[in-house]
Amino acid sequence: MIRIKDFCYWYPGQDQPALDGIDLEIPEGQFCGVVGPNGAGKSTLCYALSGFAPHFFHGTWEGELQVGKRDVPRSTLGELAGEIGLVFQNSFNQISGARFTVREEIAFGLENLGLKRKEIERRVEETLALIDLEALAERSPFALSGGQQQRVAIASILAMQPKLLVLDEPTSQLDPRGTQEVFKILDKLAGRGGTTVVLVEHKLEWLAAFADRVITFSQGRIVLDGSAKKILADEKLLKLGVGQTQFTQAAAAVQKKKFIPRSRPLPVTLKQAQKFFE
Amino acid sequence: MHGTLFVSGNSGLHRLHPLTKLALTFLFLVFAATLPNLLWLLAAFVILLVPMSAWGGLLRPFLRSCLVVITPFVISLSIIQGFFTPGETPLFHLAGFVLTGEGLLAGLTVASRILMALGGALLLMLSTRPDMLMLALTRSGLPGSLAYVVLTSIQIFPRFQERAQVILEAQQARGLEIKVNIFKRLRLLVPLMGPLVLSSIVDVEERAMALEARAFSRPGRKTSLLALADSPGQHLARWGLLLLMLALIGWSIWRAISS
Amino acid sequence: MKLSFEGVFFTYSTGVRALDGIDLSIGSGEFVAIVGENGAGKTTLVKLLNGLLRPDGGKVVVGNWDTAEYSTAQLAGRVGFLFQNPDEQLFERAVQREVAFGPRNLGFSERKIASKSMSALKTVGLADHAEDNPYDLAPFERKLLALAATLAMDTPVLVLDEPSIGQDAAGRRRIGRILRELHTMGSTILLISHDLDFCAEYAERAVVMANGHILADGLVEKIFAQNDLLQRAAVFPPQLVRLAQALKMPTAPLKVDQFVNAYSQWHRRKKRA
Repeated sequence: MIRIKDFCYWYPGQDQPALDGIDLEIPEGQFCGVVGPNGAGKSTLCYALSGFAPHFFHGTWEGELQVGKRDVPRSTLGELAGEIGLVFQNSFNQISGARFTVREEIAFGLENLGLKRKEIERRVEETLALIDLEALAERSPFALSGGQQQRVAIASILAMQPKLLVLDEPTSQLDPRGTQEVFKILDKLAGRGGTTVVLVEHKLEWLAAFADRVITFSQGRIVLDGSAKKILADEKLLKLGVGQTQFTQAAAAVQKKKFIPRSRPLPVTLKQAQKFFE
Repeated sequence: MHGTLFVSGNSGLHRLHPLTKLALTFLFLVFAATLPNLLWLLAAFVILLVPMSAWGGLLRPFLRSCLVVITPFVISLSIIQGFFTPGETPLFHLAGFVLTGEGLLAGLTVASRILMALGGALLLMLSTRPDMLMLALTRSGLPGSLAYVVLTSIQIFPRFQERAQVILEAQQARGLEIKVNIFKRLRLLVPLMGPLVLSSIVDVEERAMALEARAFSRPGRKTSLLALADSPGQHLARWGLLLLMLALIGWSIWRAISS
Repeated sequence: MKLSFEGVFFTYSTGVRALDGIDLSIGSGEFVAIVGENGAGKTTLVKLLNGLLRPDGGKVVVGNWDTAEYSTAQLAGRVGFLFQNPDEQLFERAVQREVAFGPRNLGFSERKIASKSMSALKTVGLADHAEDNPYDLAPFERKLLALAATLAMDTPVLVLDEPSIGQDAAGRRRIGRILRELHTMGSTILLISHDLDFCAEYAERAVVMANGHILADGLVEKIFAQNDLLQRAAVFPPQLVRLAQALKMPTAPLKVDQFVNAYSQWHRRKKRA
């Protein structure tokens, strides 16, 4: 699905590449988490996957980056829109502003794709149901809470039926209720399968709950890559400035005191931790 | 609808094609400019605009808005024109100035022209969703980006004000005294406007990306979830209205030349 | 510096009653976390401290000042404020000038301005960027810069609205350490945060708010151990509290070392039993 070979990217006027020789393959339908300290290149990866680097930010690049059959850096944003969806932090800025209700907001991208009205209506209804937005369909997208707005942003992208959904810290500006709302949706998507998802997220506990795989960035490179359970339990995350869930840290500390055998793998979620300690 | 005058409804006026209503608005504008006197203007307002607003179930909001907008014009124009237009019929003396009947009539005539033009625009705004109007206009050739700017400014402007308030608070919290005399006010400009401009630049960049992700700049025809109902009758009516406008303009030019 | 709210009410012009009878007093040098969902009234509450908002009823006192008698600019010398979004306050062309803005408004001497600004930049780790344009910094660095700009004002009270948002683990730890150090030097700190793990790690006392009321107020260990209470306020309990509860441990530890101790005791007792 995603094939990246030796991909480098430099923002305009920068000597240091923001992405430095990325090799990555993500099979179709995989839910892939991305972690790393601030400034490690996580957002740039999102921009590269969706074509904004280089098409929006300019700058220079080399290597290969393919999503499906699409050669991303050699395609235009117009071609990529709808095939690769990007959702980012600020929910307010993702509301188009040109539509007056949630229903019409979700339709906006489909209108730009030039779909027939019947098809637009069908997809909008389907998406409203999937993202639990039916009750809000006639509300103004500006009159919503952050979590609801972010769900509208996700719905607006999903309605376009992208092959790949890229989310760059979608919950970092939300309160716990909003965070939970958004993660519930992501959990649903992960469970449903079919959509390939790349999610950048600092909240490791949540990531552990539904990512199949986690890759770790540091200084523009991928430094760790593996199953979510293995990577999030890796002690190296502490040194990298990514941190670990307190479940993992507590388990490691207890293991050091020899209450629990070393052979038992460290937990990353509450459920795993419960099993670990019992 | 937030930030707009639109009053939802399902009347015949609401259901008219936005361009038909726009043509009517322009016709009333032409009326405002060409009808010869106060009597004609008031008659047109009472015979055309008031029943139309009633047809749209908008009589109350229409009259209320008209009253709110026109009252200051009536007062100021009557006074200015009334006292400063020379005439034969003095009505009222005040501190050496004379209010003349001719002046008052001239003032009221100008005010009624404004009422006519404004009333037409109000009818359009009260009965037409702005996005419908923009959709109709883009269908007839208005660039999509222009329509986007119009629609977003309706909704984003209130957010802009909210942000200005947040910035004001943030700088006050940093000890900035804002209750200062007029000369020192200038110094407030940079700390208050700076973040507004800079944060808006950040916002605009993000918003542009979000729009790209929604295929906004994709070449090719766009469709719409909204249905625009048109009819051959309305199409014909719009041409008719256009001809009527041209005729009115021609008539008033002819009158001007012949007098 | 002591703070107190006495029977405070506040209603926005939209008719939303944001504070509905708040009584709260905070001792000098306390480190208090204020938690609750958006709209609970947390931000409204703290804005009363420096007069950005004025109560409709009741009294807000900062030290020996009744806030009703002082302007925001005056109160800014006592209550430092870190807002959520740094982009809504940064405007200078150089980092150092940005940090000097607050101290200059407060009328510090040039020497004091220079020394306070520099030490604040060192504290947040931006000393090397003193000459840079704030807009060339990464978003998380701009947040640190806004923090430095607040620290440089050298106020006895510090209010922070979501300081850990957008920071990675290292950044969170850095901010946490800065707060802890200010706390040991006697600053009164009010921390608004949805990140209860962060609050649990650094704050001493917690105030839980919902719908303009204070739902609970007490030591962090006590408050954060009450799952139902936190759920009623729509916030997540800290991870270790949830874990301890899932294991049916008798205590609710907030930090990893506390958890390890509690677990080893519990483990031993269980073995004996």
